[in-house]
Amino acid sequence: MMKPLEVNALTKWYGRSRGVEDVTFAIERGEIFGYLGPNGSGKTTTIRCAMGLLRPSGGEVRILGSRVVPGRATQHARIGYLPGDFRVWPRPNARRVLHMLAALGGSDHDTARRNELAERLGLNLRRPIGDLSKGNRQKVAVIYAFQHRPDVLILDEPTAGLDPLMRQAVLDLIREAAEAGAAVLLSSHDLSEVSAICTRAAILREGSLVKLAPIAEIIQQGEYRLKVWFMDGTPVPDVPVDRLPNVRVVERQAHMLHIAYQGASDAILKWIAQFPIDRISTPQTSLEEAFIQYYQQAGDERKSPRRARS
Amino acid sequence: MSYTSRPPFPFALLRFWFMRILPVWLGIALLIFLMQIAVSAIVHDNANVRAFLSFLNMLPSIVKTALGGDMLQAGNTAALLTIGYQHPLVMFLCMLFAVGVPTGLLTGEVQKGTMELILSRPVTKTQVYICACVLTLVGMFGLVLTMFVGTFTAVHIYRFEQPIPLDLFFRIAVNGGLLASTFGAFALVCAATFARVYSALGVAVAFLTLNYFVSLISEWWQTIRFLRKATLFYFIYYSDIFYGWPVRNMEWLMVILLATAAVGALIWNRRDLPL
Repeated sequence: MMKPLEVNALTKWYGRSRGVEDVTFAIERGEIFGYLGPNGSGKTTTIRCAMGLLRPSGGEVRILGSRVVPGRATQHARIGYLPGDFRVWPRPNARRVLHMLAALGGSDHDTARRNELAERLGLNLRRPIGDLSKGNRQKVAVIYAFQHRPDVLILDEPTAGLDPLMRQAVLDLIREAAEAGAAVLLSSHDLSEVSAICTRAAILREGSLVKLAPIAEIIQQGEYRLKVWFMDGTPVPDVPVDRLPNVRVVERQAHMLHIAYQGASDAILKWIAQFPIDRISTPQTSLEEAFIQYYQQAGDERKSPRRARS
Repeated sequence: MSYTSRPPFPFALLRFWFMRILPVWLGIALLIFLMQIAVSAIVHDNANVRAFLSFLNMLPSIVKTALGGDMLQAGNTAALLTIGYQHPLVMFLCMLFAVGVPTGLLTGEVQKGTMELILSRPVTKTQVYICACVLTLVGMFGLVLTMFVGTFTAVHIYRFEQPIPLDLFFRIAVNGGLLASTFGAFALVCAATFARVYSALGVAVAFLTLNYFVSLISEWWQTIRFLRKATLFYFIYYSDIFYGWPVRNMEWLMVILLATAAVGALIWNRRDLPL
């Protein structure tokens, strides 16, 4: 069955420097897909190839079944795009710019939808864009992406510069679009919002995918957490790495030891049981911690061939 | 609407860009129009013409060459009126438009980052290029026709002792429009090629200036006269425009214009824009 957005073995080189290499993923209808990676990892390159703004060196992107041909505006009437750096003409007011962009390509002018979005985001469309604050310009960007009720949303940092309330409003918009059947590619640095709304995510490192999995699996990443508070007067012991090689120390305080481990817990619990313990907790790993962890692991495995699959 | 079909032509972009360049176009057109009136105001009076020609003869001969050369004589009213068409100020204004508009629209939008927004809508790169092309070429023809309108108006304001062949000025205007549009097409190539506005402007202006001065100096300095054929101005200055439509030269200009614009379109389409 056709998927709204398919990226197949996408490779893009800028001369001798790598943009992305052999990136493959697909997004289902109604899915919000997180696309994660630090600056320069290739997120924007992937997005621009998907939008036909860049010519791939290899592979292909298919949107709503059509192969994206650079410069040909493949299915663009059905795509809502929010660029990472939303730069727009400063003199006209927001209404005029949004109207002109909607009119490009003969899209219907859904003024009611535009006004509804402006009202939800608390934006005055009559002000010239040059007079708007960074946050308000970002609201214009959000309206631009959502105003024509697209079937595919490609969002690069959609909540950048927004206050927490507006951030929530934008996340609600993304959820509503997905519930209505849109496929959403969400590139973001804010891992808490990715974990809040995405069902799956891909982690990109130096142009290659290092992980593609459901959010829960990425967070878990086979690693469990344990926080142990020792009784007063008991020094926090050193972890015997020779006996417990799959354990790493996350944090260490006067009476508390926070460890992460992989595999069975039997050996660890037996080791801890030797000491007088006040209490124990099993905290959840955050996506941010998992992300950093994947990065460190990927750094160690750089030389091994990789190709992430869902 | 079939989503896989070619997107409809982006008239909204054409209108948006048109409104942006309209103030500049109107300003240049007004200056060019007034220039024709001013030239006619001098030329219709014999005493003024004699004073003007004696002043011109006192200046280095290359200045006279730049304004029309030996054709500028008392009694040759039509030739004197053409000063308004080849005066360096008029040339500069026309070329300012020819070079500034395509670089401002294509390279300017790329440099400002707004091209990413335009191309994220159902608009192909070719359509964007055509919009810039249409505004440049139509704008250029509009400016050159404004010269003719200026002459036409002046002929009805002032009384000339000789009949003024308006058809000649129309031919000059049309050919001038073709020449200026060819320079505009070259500026389109620069705009499609370079990432920065100043690079595109620099190369386009250099090409144009080189053409102008090679044409001027080769006309004035007999030793390098052979170089006149190497410039685009050759198709206007050495045509039979005073006697009829210089069809052959117009065909050449048209071919160069279309080929240059096509090369620009090819480059624009093939390259990754530095967004």
